Amino acid sequence: MMAGEMRKSALMAVDEINASDAFDFAFTPHLRDPGGVVTAYHTACDDLIREEHVDHIVGCYTSASRKQVIPIVERTERLLWHPARYEGFESSDNVIYVGAAPNQHVVPLVRHMLDHISGDVFCIGSNYVWTWEMNRVIREIVTSAGGRVLAERLLELGETAADHIVKEIIDRKPPVVFNTLVGESSYSFMRALHAAATRAGLVIPMLSCSLCEPELKLIGSAASIGCITSSAYFESIDRPENRAFVARWKARHGADSNLSVDGQSTYVCVMLLARAIRRAGSAEVAAVRRASANHRYDSPQGPVWVDPDNNHCFLTPRLARSVPGSRFKIFWEADAPERPDPYLSNLDLTAFGRGAEKSNDAKRANHLRVVK
Amino acid sequence: MTRPSPFSVCGRRALLLMRDEREISILRRQLNRLGMTISEHDPAEPPPHQAADVIVVDADSIPIKSDLATAWKVGVPIIALIGTETPSRLKWLLDLQPASFLIKPLRSAGLYTALVVAFDSAQRRIDEAAHIERLEDRIRSRRVVFAAVLQIMRAHDLSETDAFTLIRQTAMRHRTTIEQLSAEIIAVGGMPNRNTRTA
Repeated sequence: MMAGEMRKSALMAVDEINASDAFDFAFTPHLRDPGGVVTAYHTACDDLIREEHVDHIVGCYTSASRKQVIPIVERTERLLWHPARYEGFESSDNVIYVGAAPNQHVVPLVRHMLDHISGDVFCIGSNYVWTWEMNRVIREIVTSAGGRVLAERLLELGETAADHIVKEIIDRKPPVVFNTLVGESSYSFMRALHAAATRAGLVIPMLSCSLCEPELKLIGSAASIGCITSSAYFESIDRPENRAFVARWKARHGADSNLSVDGQSTYVCVMLLARAIRRAGSAEVAAVRRASANHRYDSPQGPVWVDPDNNHCFLTPRLARSVPGSRFKIFWEADAPERPDPYLSNLDLTAFGRGAEKSNDAKRANHLRVVK
Repeated sequence: MTRPSPFSVCGRRALLLMRDEREISILRRQLNRLGMTISEHDPAEPPPHQAADVIVVDADSIPIKSDLATAWKVGVPIIALIGTETPSRLKWLLDLQPASFLIKPLRSAGLYTALVVAFDSAQRRIDEAAHIERLEDRIRSRRVVFAAVLQIMRAHDLSETDAFTLIRQTAMRHRTTIEQLSAEIIAVGGMPNRNTRTA
């Protein structure tokens, strides 16, 4: 589903640029759909460069697909504009990372959890690099603040049978569940947990750093409500740029269609690219990379610009709660766009608590107020 | 016993645990040039029975929470192929104790260095393990040496230093270890007469 959302947004951005007087050039999109088959990304990318002679490639949702493409763009000196948030620990000169880095997605969410919900967390996720790394970050922050990771449960990618984990959650009643499942696994888990919790008369808060509006619709109204989500973009951001963007999107794709963080981010990729080409006066990769650095764009999600130190973007982290109508209600956002920190080099664990204190509710409740 | 030089890799057997056909073909070509024999195995299957001198494992092809990973820890040096540099993945990798590593995407250069480092560090590990075993033997026999020293002190009315010197010198003359001679002293109830035996 995400690939379709991203393609729609990329083409919308291309059409807007081609129709606009502000740009004295036009984009010719060349589309390839490797269909999520990891090894096909290498071939598709190779084909785009050799046959179509493209200089700039927008796309890749998963880290596995991005890792297939990076060797080619590095070898041929092309630029990949990558829209999706990811787990970090990468920084290629031939990639512009437009999705959120870990300090912009998981860290604010864990901080909120420690501050306002609990330090004791039950983790469930899909068995691949995204979950492994999210769990590591969660564990590092939570344990340094004196909390506990109660469990780390993994489901294979695409697996939808999670009854045993739902039962464990209902039995153990954790104060909060951190959900890093993706796709159908996540949807069916959320439905099953909602049904079981309702039967048991329980309300267990759930956290996510990947849920988006079109997914809320897929999950269904009851089970999708109340999930606390971290993202740089929600359709409900109340800025003139975003209201206009959402209106244009709905005019194009229907009033009942929803935007997603990854769709919006793909749109931002194309816009950043167009603005960098305009600034450079050329589509040549080195010139575009130089021109994109620190070049601020007032995007639907707010000001965005590329940090030339690591080719990731300054973005504004936000937290929201999912509400009826496939929407998110934003309840927190950073005061200013946050510098990307893909290696979490500047993560200050002491800011989350007083180190390795044993789990102690009274003590924890006390020192958790220290957090910013 | 002469040790194989880590620089001579010809004739050694490599087991590839990889999925990516492109990367496999790069390694296959390079290993053939080096004169090594190659076997291939699916990383998701339990380990095969055939012996190998080095295992090349694509770290990204095995899930972190998998019992299979530990099954590969069989004492054969491991070269890890690394694509994802996240700490969670690297921690998993450290548990495999790789002897060396290569960063993906692979090139023809680098493999020979990785092999030499792997063979060298595997030999060092064997040497160190043997050294530690010798030291542990000596620690275990400390009680025996102490008992022998006491016996010689009493039998010959010597100080502790002199008794130990006597045992050490006798052991050297008999071309045996202090620990072995001490065991004999306790067994025969005094300094054994080695003149009647060949040392």
